[in-house]
Amino acid sequence: MTDRREKDRSPFVALVLGWILPGAGHAYAGRWGKAILFFSLITALMVAGLVIGGGTNILPNRLWYAAQVCAGGPALALTPISQHLAGPDDSNVDWADPLHEMGTLYTAVAGFLNLLVMMDAYTRIAYPHRLGQQPQEEDA
Amino acid sequence: MWLWDVVYGFVAHLFSPSNPLWLYYPLCAVVAVVYKATKVDEPKKIACQALHFFASVSLGMLGLALVFYIITLLL
Repeated sequence: MTDRREKDRSPFVALVLGWILPGAGHAYAGRWGKAILFFSLITALMVAGLVIGGGTNILPNRLWYAAQVCAGGPALALTPISQHLAGPDDSNVDWADPLHEMGTLYTAVAGFLNLLVMMDAYTRIAYPHRLGQQPQEEDA
Repeated sequence: MWLWDVVYGFVAHLFSPSNPLWLYYPLCAVVAVVYKATKVDEPKKIACQALHFFASVSLGMLGLALVFYIITLLL
């Protein structure tokens, strides 16, 4: 059911909030259940990826970072930890470790999923009837 | 008999505890739930469609991997 409060909200604010914190765009739109679901799953995926990858796979000098940074707040918060663990010139990173590769995949997918969630928050406010619902009558 | 041995060996390797491929399943499950939660609103529909997505992707990839494995053995 379309939330009437969505009408007064800005889709761009939802987009930016969704980037800063996964699910925040949905919370802004009044969808608290989905906000909690998205926040917990995307943040868990990000942290799990970092743990699986030995803590050295969220590095700004890698191409994967373009995907990882789409997760916004969690990615930016975990970047200094990863840089610290990677050491100078990434000397502590074991590039051949399959678990490192898997952890990187986890974090990159978390970023892409947050991109999807951000776009959903945007379209939910910009186009509230996109889910095949009938437009609501305007209040008299 | 030869094909059965190949399939058995492949599946046994795929599901061995030492294979990090196990980690794809939680990833696929999270992708399924988040993707379907952006498509539908009702929790029951999200659960059903996410389960369908998870099963389709997992079995599809498994089948594809098996086919490619057999092709590489024949080449």
